[in-house]
Amino acid sequence: MSISTPTRDAGKKSGLGFFAGIGTVFGLEIKQRVRSRGWYIMLAIWFVVIAAIVGLAALTVGSIDSSPDSYQSADSGIGQVMFELVIAFVLFFGMLIAPALSSNSITGDRANGTLAILQNTLLTPGQLLTGKWLAAWVASLAFLLVTLPLIVWAMTYGDVYLRAFPVLLGMLAVELAIVCAIGVGISALANRTLFAVMISYLVVALLGLGTLIAYGLSLELVKVDVEASEQIWPESYENGEYMGEWDEENFTCGPTLYGQQVYATDRNTWLLAMNPFVVVADAAPRPPKPERPESFGMAGPMGMISDGVRYSQAGVEYQVPCLNGVKTVGNPPDQAPLWPLGLGLQVVLAAGILGAGRQRLKTPAGKLARGTRVA
Amino acid sequence: MDSTLPSHGHVPVTTQAPGTGIVAQGLARSFGTVKAVENIDFVAEAGKVTALIGPNGSGKTTLLLMLASLLRPDSGSIRIQGIDPERDARSVRAVLGWMPDTLGVWESLTAREILTTVGSLYGMGKAHARARAAELLEMVELSALADTPGRVLSRGQAQRLSLARALINDPQVLLLDEPASGLDPGARVQLRMLVRDLAESGKTVVISSHVLVELDEMADAAVFVSKGRTVRSQTLAEAGEQVRGYTIVVTDLPALRQFLESASMAAAYQPNVENAGGTAKVKLPGDSHATELLAALVRAGIPVSAFAPSSGLLEETYLRLEEGTK
Repeated sequence: MSISTPTRDAGKKSGLGFFAGIGTVFGLEIKQRVRSRGWYIMLAIWFVVIAAIVGLAALTVGSIDSSPDSYQSADSGIGQVMFELVIAFVLFFGMLIAPALSSNSITGDRANGTLAILQNTLLTPGQLLTGKWLAAWVASLAFLLVTLPLIVWAMTYGDVYLRAFPVLLGMLAVELAIVCAIGVGISALANRTLFAVMISYLVVALLGLGTLIAYGLSLELVKVDVEASEQIWPESYENGEYMGEWDEENFTCGPTLYGQQVYATDRNTWLLAMNPFVVVADAAPRPPKPERPESFGMAGPMGMISDGVRYSQAGVEYQVPCLNGVKTVGNPPDQAPLWPLGLGLQVVLAAGILGAGRQRLKTPAGKLARGTRVA
Repeated sequence: MDSTLPSHGHVPVTTQAPGTGIVAQGLARSFGTVKAVENIDFVAEAGKVTALIGPNGSGKTTLLLMLASLLRPDSGSIRIQGIDPERDARSVRAVLGWMPDTLGVWESLTAREILTTVGSLYGMGKAHARARAAELLEMVELSALADTPGRVLSRGQAQRLSLARALINDPQVLLLDEPASGLDPGARVQLRMLVRDLAESGKTVVISSHVLVELDEMADAAVFVSKGRTVRSQTLAEAGEQVRGYTIVVTDLPALRQFLESASMAAAYQPNVENAGGTAKVKLPGDSHATELLAALVRAGIPVSAFAPSSGLLEETYLRLEEGTK
């Protein structure tokens, strides 16, 4: 005996629109976050910490500026340094906070029994993940928002390089979005919040520190032998009689070549590409180089990262002043930007994790991890 | 034919209209090496309340999760209102209401917000969702707590909210996993009336519960599962025909004993310590035998002070199945 049950054709389109579903999940997440007191405490602590750091920086840089024998002029870049400090710290702390914020978004629902309720509605896994991701992103942007007074403070110095300003802010927001996507994706994959937070931190650390370690370790692999001659400085420099301004470029290359081991960093700099700091710093246009090299010391953290990466990209030629007896001076020529590669790889990574998470949220569920219940 | 000895695991022939209710056949689902459901056949007709009964760990919740389109069976087929949840989970969900055995309350959201949010996830407009939420809050008597955050609701209140949530999309098929747990007696009575009303309006209601006496009054049919298998499917009418235990309380136990022994009826006797009274337990095949025995006892002048089934109809089946599996 078999009971005939013809499968009814799902002709009628169910009523939940794609964006309506995302919007509802987004609203649900934001509502919960806005109502938790811990959230405000965290924002307050955040503001105090960054304000203290930026204030101290302003004090330090300001005292150098006011010292009587300083070369610096008023437009020496205090504002730029402060602004870049804010950006660097928002990025740094953002990478600490965003994984924690987003890693709870799905594991928390799982533990609370509310995930299955959402899955039992017309919501698709894609809508659920997208809504949660957007909510986590907007929540992390709130941390950028509360630092706005500090950015305004930096702006009052009047020397913030305006062309870089929107790019730095924009790239910062993009990096936070990527960290949130990684966090939400891992949250969908993991069973327990603690585990999700830990894995998210490891992945983010892989981007932030792992790239640096990989770069450092790979230096041994790009060691090359080159021929170089010695730098010959004017006699007055050598015997200490010279009283004028030191000119670093005032040398000639000797005729005798000798072997030297250097690192061909142009071959391994790409390893740094996925570093969020490198992506943000590399994407921002650099202010034109000031005439006097002393001002170089006034670059903010992002500027220093950007310069460092460019020198590393330029390779041997700019590490050895007299390579093959040829004098090389000045700044390296503009290199191919590194950030599109880095951002591209980050997007692929985040999308991959989100995609795997989406697969995991599909119902009716096939595989379940040991010791878990759907509801 | 003896209706008390049906073949195990057999689904009674149903007369339901095609494309309504729930029909599941040969369901199996394991988690790793644990076979949660081995072979379950389950039929719930539209317009009826079907009880799902079984001991802890017998696969009830796993079965309900499969019926709710959240878990894929390893084998077997499911049709909810004629739709296969594996092929078209979305269409199943549109007609389904599921109340899980966990509370599932968003702690910082108010009762009203939880209902309107879930409503909008079924594609309801704002105004529609609000009206529906207000209506359901009224129905489960949570109107006074409509704007209280979920975290301050008591277990029973959260349970009622969960029921309202399951009803938000006016489902044709309703799956209730332990809906009565945590409810006070008043709320239980209300739940019973609500479930009856829903069934009478043509909906398919599946209810799992441990409180079997309660199911007696609510359910039209029952499916018994044990160790991941369907061990029995019966209607309450069938249950009424089966052999049941009756407890007879008398003030003169020797007289009763003499009567029953002369009628060659087996019974277990338990005399009172302080007087001549006591209780006897007998097994009677069906209600009609019970009425006959009672009448005969009264006619014979046995001083009967109580005459009642030892347990509920479903409990009786349940206990007998338990004995059978030992």
